[in-house]
Amino acid sequence: MRAAFSDALVAAAMADPKVVLLTGDHGYALFDAFRKARPAQYINCGVAEQNMVGVAAGLAKAGFRPFVYGLAAFVPIRVLEQIKIDVCYENLPVILIGDGAGLVYSHLGTSHQTTEDIACTRVIPGLSVLSPADRFEMKACMELAFASASPVYLRMGKSDRGDVHASALDLSPHELRSGGLLKVRPGAGRVAMLATGSMVRTALQLCEAGVDAEVWSVPSIKPLSQAQLRAIAARADRLITLEEHSIMGGMGSAVLEALADQVPVRIQRIGSADRFSSSCGTWDYLLQEHQIDLAAVLQKVQAFCQE
Amino acid sequence: MTRFNAPDIRTAVLNMAYHGATVHVGCAFSIVELLAVLYRQHLRIDPANPKWAGRDYLVLSKGHGVMAQYACLNALGWISDDEMARYFQNGTRLKGLADAHVPGVEASTGSLGHGMSVAAGLALAAQLNQTDQICYVLVGDGEINEGPIWEAALFASHFKLDNLVVIVDKNGFQAMGSTDEVMALGNIEDKFRAFGFDATTIDGHDEAAIDAAYAQAKATRNGKPKAIVATTTKGKGVSFMEGDNIWHYTRLTADTHAAALAEVAQTNQGVL
Repeated sequence: MRAAFSDALVAAAMADPKVVLLTGDHGYALFDAFRKARPAQYINCGVAEQNMVGVAAGLAKAGFRPFVYGLAAFVPIRVLEQIKIDVCYENLPVILIGDGAGLVYSHLGTSHQTTEDIACTRVIPGLSVLSPADRFEMKACMELAFASASPVYLRMGKSDRGDVHASALDLSPHELRSGGLLKVRPGAGRVAMLATGSMVRTALQLCEAGVDAEVWSVPSIKPLSQAQLRAIAARADRLITLEEHSIMGGMGSAVLEALADQVPVRIQRIGSADRFSSSCGTWDYLLQEHQIDLAAVLQKVQAFCQE
Repeated sequence: MTRFNAPDIRTAVLNMAYHGATVHVGCAFSIVELLAVLYRQHLRIDPANPKWAGRDYLVLSKGHGVMAQYACLNALGWISDDEMARYFQNGTRLKGLADAHVPGVEASTGSLGHGMSVAAGLALAAQLNQTDQICYVLVGDGEINEGPIWEAALFASHFKLDNLVVIVDKNGFQAMGSTDEVMALGNIEDKFRAFGFDATTIDGHDEAAIDAAYAQAKATRNGKPKAIVATTTKGKGVSFMEGDNIWHYTRLTADTHAAALAEVAQTNQGVL
């Protein structure tokens, strides 16, 4: 997935000399190919993320196409006000990349973990929020972001969970742009799981463990296709949302908001609880701590389906 | 009427503030000459097209001084007299802080410490495009309490943005008191010089000195960004406002409005 990200970034920079990559002194090996291909379009802004986003706004205003890269703890969380005022209020086509979102930096602790970024970004008017699950979705999301005339936040979470799609996505840009969900596994139709990012793999693993559900990936959290959601909810008795993000304000909340006054359906939200991580440990270990590892989720989902 | 005449700008500000029943008069008055000289003699713009791609940029980072800029934009014809008369009214677009949806306003400020970064981005864009555009950014002295100002200063110096001109409105006050009382700034000129700028201090109400400082800043393309520390008086131009920080917050009454207009008119006659 990270290779797909780098490839898409290099392709954009090769296609358009106005593409510039701004980084807050992060992404060392990730940008080797970019720096080799387009060194003049690479701008290391130093450890100064607030300034970086303001600079990106100025560049975009003058016709450049900035990609702004940081760890999700910093882009978007540290720089939320710059995103809101400098970028989004003027609807400037700046693409914000938040890497390591969720619990990826498990050993480093709260400063680097990010389970609030979807909640914080999706309420900013005009800002799209993308959350790819594998390399195919990453490519599609990057192409969509690059084609967009308005700002985009692209959330890059745990990136080594393998593919959830069998092959490259045959999507029209319109499908993703309008917030389309992507079916990754058919089911009998009574239970539908909607997952984003790293948790799409978990949803598939739940099915392998015996849960009979159709599985949808949600690469676009905002916009989110209301019509498609309603259609899925109309067929299902139960909806389950899964995300490596707080259960407050994230994709699950977006689904609730979309369906609350539309379709009567029971919805279970799976995500991290409203608390900080307390321990050091591997990513798998912290998933257990937050009760979003496969075993914990399986138990929750089975209980919900039997209610 | 001479366009961008300082007393006329102050008159416009007084009328906006009085009829809109709003504040920040003192904050606007300290930057009147700084803006007047810029618009009159230095800022390259296309009067017919505020979005002309080859324009010089002016970012008003101390967005609470925006009434002075509105007066200049009105003189350019980019804001109508009718809009000026309805400042701060329901349903109008002229808000109390700088808003980039208004023609001629480059960044939405008011949350302090944003404008210098946006300006650095604009200056970098001109550098990458190899144009000779100059980017001016006007910051308040209280505003430079904000950390991103110094992030932007490092950035401007590192990327050799010698087309960036930072103008510091050193009126000596911020919201809750004098800058010395609230957050002592020390020598601002020395601070910018330490960050790699060419820095100078001038009288921010002396139009000849302002003109000379802008001219020198534009002409010196030596790889260093420029800082002009303009020593100003908050509330400049009206005796009972000068140096009294209450005019950050106070609304004009019919009496103070009339008295202030009379004083400014006297200054205007003096000029003529």
